[in-house]
Amino acid sequence: MAMLEVNDITISYGTRPTVKNFSMSLEEGKICSLVGESGSGKTTVIRAIFGLLPGAGKVTEGDIIFAGDHLLNYSKKEWRKIRGTEMSMIFQDSGAMMNPTKKVGAAYTEYIRTHENISKKEAVKKGIMMLERMRLPSGDNVMQSYPFQLSGGMRQRVGIAMGMTYQPKLLLADEPTSALDVTTQAQIVRQMMELKENYGTAIILVTHNLGVAAYMSDHIIVMRNGVIEDQGDRDHILYHSENAYTHKLLEAVPSIGGTRYV
Amino acid sequence: MFDEKDVILDARHITRRFPASKGRELTACNDVNLKFYKGKTLGLVGESGCGKSTFMRFLVSLDKPNEGEILYRGVDITKLKGEKLRQNRQNIQMVFQDPATSFNPKMKIRDVICEPLLNFGRIKKSEKSAKARELLEMVELPGEFEDRFMHNMSGGQRQRVGIARALALEPEIIVMDEATSALDVSVQKTIIELITKLQREKGITIGFICHDLGLIQSFAHQVAVMYLGNIVEVMPGEDIGEQCRHPYSQALLASVFDIKMDFTKKIESIESEIPSPLDMPPGCPFSNRCDHCMEKCRQERPLLKEIGPGHEVACWLYE
Ligand SMILES: Nc1ncnc2c1ncn2[C@@H]1O[C@H](COP(=O)(O)OP(=O)(O)OP(=O)(O)O)[C@@H](O)[C@H]1O
Ligand SMILES: Nc1ncnc2c1ncn2[C@@H]1O[C@H](COP(=O)(O)OP(=O)(O)O)[C@@H](O)[C@H]1O
Ligand code: SF4
Ligand SMILES: [Mg+2]
Ligand SMILES: [Mg+2]
Repeated sequence: MAMLEVNDITISYGTRPTVKNFSMSLEEGKICSLVGESGSGKTTVIRAIFGLLPGAGKVTEGDIIFAGDHLLNYSKKEWRKIRGTEMSMIFQDSGAMMNPTKKVGAAYTEYIRTHENISKKEAVKKGIMMLERMRLPSGDNVMQSYPFQLSGGMRQRVGIAMGMTYQPKLLLADEPTSALDVTTQAQIVRQMMELKENYGTAIILVTHNLGVAAYMSDHIIVMRNGVIEDQGDRDHILYHSENAYTHKLLEAVPSIGGTRYV
Repeated sequence: MFDEKDVILDARHITRRFPASKGRELTACNDVNLKFYKGKTLGLVGESGCGKSTFMRFLVSLDKPNEGEILYRGVDITKLKGEKLRQNRQNIQMVFQDPATSFNPKMKIRDVICEPLLNFGRIKKSEKSAKARELLEMVELPGEFEDRFMHNMSGGQRQRVGIARALALEPEIIVMDEATSALDVSVQKTIIELITKLQREKGITIGFICHDLGLIQSFAHQVAVMYLGNIVEVMPGEDIGEQCRHPYSQALLASVFDIKMDFTKKIESIESEIPSPLDMPPGCPFSNRCDHCMEKCRQERPLLKEIGPGHEVACWLYE
């Protein structure tokens, strides 16, 4: 059995299902991208896998199996044990997830100390090391800052550093590089690829950058309106798909040297 | 192509420093000079944290520079106060990088979108719902969304609400800070077509911060590249590809992912550490990461110098 099996799940926030009959499976060390329409349910799917649907969100049908365990039956305590260590999530907007009244360093060392029995001082050191590995200059200054004092891209790198602290088996990344400049994006892409190669981490990546999806993924799922519209490997999606929506997306990708509107 | 008399917003010698930990100082913008032209788009690109948002926030008076002035129709807007400041907000609107954090979570979408219109007495309370629906549909969202809350929407849907709100006032200048980064490329294309249409019809000026160089090149008339608080290159939009000259601009191009790229190639990215804006290197800000760095680069800071029509570079290679 694959490390992650999502079997025919339906998810809803109210009466109407938001995501219908979604299935996927992922082996160790593989990367799958979810791309597609804004509002089609990509974030909803990965939040469901992470057991963190907001509000009234609920998986109403189907099954999610991770490392042989049925996640939908997990207790709060069981979730606490695997979140951050076995399975980590990087959010679309790490800035909004951070407590605005707490310095980054306080939040990060607290995070480290709930997962590991080490002293505050060691936790601070570990935090700074991870931040610098994510190419944040002056890790010590970042630790001393409040979230609003950092730029959006810097906050995102803090979120990524936290998610990668314990080299999880499964990394769920929701548009991790949308707020980043291209050179930092390239570094983060490389770091995620290294995680996969060195530790066999499996990754589900939500992205609107089809170039990044194509570069990184073993499998690409195109979503639209709550369902899987198209899927396959890079070759299929980029060159052989006959799906009209996939074509529409590919045609809309802005390329350097491409169409100009002005 | 750019006529001095069409300058609508002129930022001169803008510097902003923030106090940092241990009594240090962080320079987020260092002597920035940029001109916005009527009916044209200025794209601003650069590393995250280099000072792009800090600069754009001055245009909408959310913050003030320590030094420098920004002239809008001859008036320095960094000095505006009270009613004049409030009135000026109608003319220059901003779409923020993360709309989720910039609105009161208790407001319905209808209120978020119509708040500025009501504030300036442009519509009556009774017209709110119809106006909200019209604006939502303009950004390809269903009209029923007027009844929702921000936190019940996807990232891309929230971004579009922010865009609808800013467009509602039909400002003369609109600043978009990474405002389309969470949209799928097809919706993004619709939004770009929409704003370029508005630009043609109403002559609005756009300031657009974005990391997608392909997107910037598709509609910006002018592109400025920022590095560690300094503008290092300004060029006509169509030049962002092969014509860009600054080694940092070239490094940016080398790290772009594209669906037409060679997927077997190793990803290019600048390997060395980004220096912190806390200890800006003397001389050229890019000197510690530049492959072409010369002795002079470490000592003296290069200033912007014209190398072609509408094209300026701050680099000793082009001296
Ligand atoms: N907390 C919530 N309550 C109710 N509806 C929600 C909630 N969160 C999301 N939705 C709705 O569920 C649908 C899917 O949202 P989701 O965030 O999964 O989209 P997405 O594919 O990640 O989109 P994007 O690319 O714009 O981030 C959207 O129509 C959205 O409005
Ligand atoms: N209110 C603030 N207080 C202290 N430092 C700030 C503040 N706002 C921004 N900065 C710092 O200024 C620099 C530029 O930030 P910003 O303009 O947001 O960058 P970006 O180019 O990503 O938009 C960063 O180093 C950031 O940490
Ligand atoms: S001035 Fe020197 S260090 Fe700076 S970009 Fe040019 S060549 Fe490189
Ligand atoms: Mg999402
Ligand atoms: Mg910014």
